Amino acid sequence: MSKTLLKLENLTMKFGGVTALNEVNLEVKEGEILALIGPNGAGKTTVFNVITGVYQATSGSVLFDGHNLVGRKRFQITGLGVARTFQNIRLFGDMTTLENVITATDVHKKSGLVGSLFGTPRARREERENRTKALEILEFIGIDEYSDRLAKNLPYGVQRRLEIARAMGTTPKLLLLDEPAAGFNPQEKVELATTIKKVRDAGYTVLLIEHDMSLIMGISDRVAVLDFGTKIADDSPTVVQNDPRVIEAYLGVPADAS
Amino acid sequence: MKNFNLRDFGADIWERSNRPVRVAIVIVVIGLVAMMPYAGAGFLATPIAAYDAVIVYPVAIFVLMSLGLNIVVGKSGMLDLGYVAFFAIGAYTMGFLGIHTSLNTWEIMPIGIGLAMLAGVMLGLPTLRLRGDYLAIVTLGFGEIIRIVALNVSWTNGPNGISGIPMPPDIGPLKFRLDDQKVFFWVVLAMILMTIWMIRRLSVRRPGRAWEAIRQDEDAAELMGVPTLKYKIWSFTLGAAVGGAAGVLYGSKNLFVAPEMFTLNVSILILACVVFGGIGNIWGVIVGGVILGYLPDRIRFISDARLLVFGLVLVVVMNFRPDGLLPRKKREKALVKKGANS
Amino acid sequence: MFTVFIDQFWQLTISGIALGFIYVLIALGYTMVYGVLRMINFANSEIFMWGTFGAIVASRDLFRYNQTTEPATGGKLALVLFIQLFAAMAFAAVVSVIVELAAYRRLRARGTNRLATLISAIGMSMVLSETMRLMTDSRPVGSPRILEKVILTEVWGAQIRLDTLITIVAAGAIFIILERFVKLSRMGKAIRAVSMNEDAAKLMGINLNRVITVTFLVGGLATGAAGFFYVTVYEYTKFNIGFTMGLAAFTAAVVGGIGNIRGAFFGGVFLGLAEVYASAILGTQWKAVTIFIVLVLVLLFKPNGLFGEAVQQTRA
Repeated sequence: MSKTLLKLENLTMKFGGVTALNEVNLEVKEGEILALIGPNGAGKTTVFNVITGVYQATSGSVLFDGHNLVGRKRFQITGLGVARTFQNIRLFGDMTTLENVITATDVHKKSGLVGSLFGTPRARREERENRTKALEILEFIGIDEYSDRLAKNLPYGVQRRLEIARAMGTTPKLLLLDEPAAGFNPQEKVELATTIKKVRDAGYTVLLIEHDMSLIMGISDRVAVLDFGTKIADDSPTVVQNDPRVIEAYLGVPADAS
Repeated sequence: MKNFNLRDFGADIWERSNRPVRVAIVIVVIGLVAMMPYAGAGFLATPIAAYDAVIVYPVAIFVLMSLGLNIVVGKSGMLDLGYVAFFAIGAYTMGFLGIHTSLNTWEIMPIGIGLAMLAGVMLGLPTLRLRGDYLAIVTLGFGEIIRIVALNVSWTNGPNGISGIPMPPDIGPLKFRLDDQKVFFWVVLAMILMTIWMIRRLSVRRPGRAWEAIRQDEDAAELMGVPTLKYKIWSFTLGAAVGGAAGVLYGSKNLFVAPEMFTLNVSILILACVVFGGIGNIWGVIVGGVILGYLPDRIRFISDARLLVFGLVLVVVMNFRPDGLLPRKKREKALVKKGANS
Repeated sequence: MFTVFIDQFWQLTISGIALGFIYVLIALGYTMVYGVLRMINFANSEIFMWGTFGAIVASRDLFRYNQTTEPATGGKLALVLFIQLFAAMAFAAVVSVIVELAAYRRLRARGTNRLATLISAIGMSMVLSETMRLMTDSRPVGSPRILEKVILTEVWGAQIRLDTLITIVAAGAIFIILERFVKLSRMGKAIRAVSMNEDAAKLMGINLNRVITVTFLVGGLATGAAGFFYVTVYEYTKFNIGFTMGLAAFTAAVVGGIGNIRGAFFGGVFLGLAEVYASAILGTQWKAVTIFIVLVLVLLFKPNGLFGEAVQQTRA
């Protein structure tokens, strides 16, 4: 049994009178791919937002690698090793592909404004390290040929992949992917599944929000299901797939069940 | 040539050159600019004020301040409408210390810059958390507040201002004189070059990326690990430093400072220079500062209505050419050979 | 320091309320436009300034009043005041719509570049004030006295003058009319729909451009009315009066919760009183500083305003 990397304990998130998450408990083990599924509005992205510090949890805790993330600033959480992608692509459009990733690699670097201004040896070294690392990531994800293109001019599929590459730039222990396959055709989904597995095999832990069931069944080690802010299932893909409550809440919708 | 744009044209030449050629280009350009005080006869002559004075103030000082404001507005996307405050702080520091102490301009310079930066941090810490338009109105208010304070406290001598401010001491053979302001021009030129150096250095390294990310999507930037508040304050403070430096020199050149020199209008003028030339692009901002600084003194009609013209510039440029004369647009290297449509 | 404040408390309170009612109307201009655009209309202060000139143009050029003319009485007085009010509102409303067309519309059509829109609006504000400066030679313009400033009565040692009373009553009435308009009329409902959810409103078939223009128009009417009262009470105007008045009224809108129409009322009165009291204690030269500090404090600690929640929730 590998160790627990992320643990949500009784996590509750309320917006005014609306309860978006209700006493959610969830564990992510090191090195696994955990898929978080559920109908629209079930609170999946809210989970990501609470983990990454966009929202402050109403109650409950988020334990990550020995730290409680609740109350920390967003960039500090990223620094501790949690990185995410966005459902609606939010790249830095006027930067090149490479610069997008380098911006993320900066998080673990020490040199600041003064070092950059005077070009201290450390600043120069870190710039070189960043560049090398960013290029490695782009190659790993398979979009290195686009390094010098502006992010806003990239084809859609490359933008989605760049989202993942940029998140990997922060050297995360845990990678949160928010619908990485949205808008993909079946061929692209297969490629993406391969990439995500490759990412996991390279030592990253992946928490994934996705709607496409075949993709989820194909790659995830475990599936957790949210419905109206409550976790209703958490097990291996095959067990979840046959859970009557899940079928009722989610898989019961014929169009999505394929 | 399809879609000709001056910035890309210039960048092309630059990229095709090797290091010695680049050094030569830089030296020639700086040399030519340094000769500008001798170009006052004929077409460039200014009918209203003496040419050698005009190219120091407004032209060169506008360029310097525009570069400073561009760090805030162009690089990190924050609208600072109170930029004049930092200019005023620099100028008053020069005035006060120049009169009451034996420090000379060069000794006061770091103090003025330091105080302007301090004011930048003090204003920035609480307000840079605010959303864009709130920040704009708060800075707008701050600019006016500094003027009102200068008008009403005793050590600034109120509306009468501070007069008898000393000129800078000579630098070797270079003598500062009122009737011949060449040396002032060269000093401001040196300050401009230092500012350009600073901005270019920072732009290609971590701070530049952080600002660029903040400008484009602040939330995403923070989630990618950029300490946004810290870099916003840096941006604000560096802008303040440049404004403060310009103010110190202006005070020492003008020999007199008074509150009415530091109205909201100055902030708007500088903003117009930034916007006109090409927000976010150093060369654009320089061109904007030169044109908008110089034209009102060249064309009599514009002189009276200068603020009206500058206001119109803001509206028209934003509506019809938001990138200004020289757009910031970055070029994509080597995109053609890699198959643009995959 | 506090003696003036204590001795004159009731007098100050009355002037504060009258000033506050002027702020209420300008704040309405800010808050309505903010509601539909989610953006501060930087030019609103200059729209107000143009309104004050509208009032003076009416009395001076239309009715040929000058500084030596006797103040009007009876029916004539009511007519002149009414025409002045109308002119101020009309001037401001026209300018306000021009601001929308020239500074906002094109940028809105092209997408949401907030920075560009803010700069465009600040440029427009400069254009408006400079045009007036050039037209008036940078000089203050006195308003002929239309209204004899009769002292009607004294309450607790505070004089209630006719102009103060008219300001409070008429400004209050205009506020109520506009508030009802937004609440009840078809157009008003469309305006509120847009401020709550622009996309949904568009889906419901609301013509966004028209709603926004009408919002600027109504905001301009309110702001222009404020210009009339300003001229009636202070009997002068100048091309640069917009800045401080605008800053104060904007602060009032923020204090009341920007986007919230009733909030503008409380915010305006609060600010009028705060300003008058602070001026009595600290001296009038610190007026703008006081307003600024109030603005910063409210933005930092109560960004939704002091009087309960703003109507709209901020969008993610």
